[in-house]
Amino acid sequence: MNKILVVDDAEFMRLRYRKLLSAEGFEIVEAGNGQEAVHAYEKERPDLVLMDITMPVMDGLEALKQIRALDGGARVVMSSALGQQRVVLSAIKEGAKDFLVKPFKPENVLDTVRKHLA
Amino acid sequence: MSLNVRFINPFIGAACYVLEAEVGAEIERGPVRLEKSGTTSKAITVALGVTGAIRGAVFYSLSEETARSIVSEMMGEPVPIFDGLAESAIGELGNVITGMATTNLEAEGFNCNISPPTLVIGKGVYISTLDFHRLIMPIHTQFGELEINVALKGDGSSG
Repeated sequence: MNKILVVDDAEFMRLRYRKLLSAEGFEIVEAGNGQEAVHAYEKERPDLVLMDITMPVMDGLEALKQIRALDGGARVVMSSALGQQRVVLSAIKEGAKDFLVKPFKPENVLDTVRKHLA
Repeated sequence: MSLNVRFINPFIGAACYVLEAEVGAEIERGPVRLEKSGTTSKAITVALGVTGAIRGAVFYSLSEETARSIVSEMMGEPVPIFDGLAESAIGELGNVITGMATTNLEAEGFNCNISPPTLVIGKGVYISTLDFHRLIMPIHTQFGELEINVALKGDGSSG
């Protein structure tokens, strides 16, 4: 069973991901900010990370950098309401595999997750 | 004031798009008005800071009943009490609208960033944006009314 770390400061979004992805058979681990995500990555070694950008304590771009430093093969998909070109480009430059812009449809999340776990 | 109106349009566009996408809202826009003084809040206010080429604050104000109706639709189940999860959902809605608005602003040549959302719970709380004048746009939906308040300045704008 593939393990997915979902990182979002909004409890509602974590619940939404959990409902969607666990119904498809994925194991879900949650983190509420970038710092928690780095710790959770070290401990859980998930197969994929779904990461928000705008979060308190540590934002998603910094967490992406730190996770990629821990594991150069980490598969991180950014999922953010910020769809500006420069944000997307800096995430891709830091090694993000993909970028989901909110609001997104559930099938887009599932397609993206499956594509990067294939 | 013309530059300020230029700032509110990306928020109106984003709010309409996100409300339609998230909860199937049928939207009717009210007239935009300018206010120079503070305001007293509705029951739920979602506030976000904006920094960069445009600075200031944006907040979304709605009654608890409207907030519960919208969150019920977002969650796919009735929300009888406005609890922590409901707060998170309405905060996320404000985050997604504002995030999309900043993407629209980038297309207009204004690069900016946003803070995580802050919620003010309670009717009648006095909110001042100080010398940042507010442009207000009411949006009517089948769930009730949501008011977008945009208090932003760009470089060289008098607000």
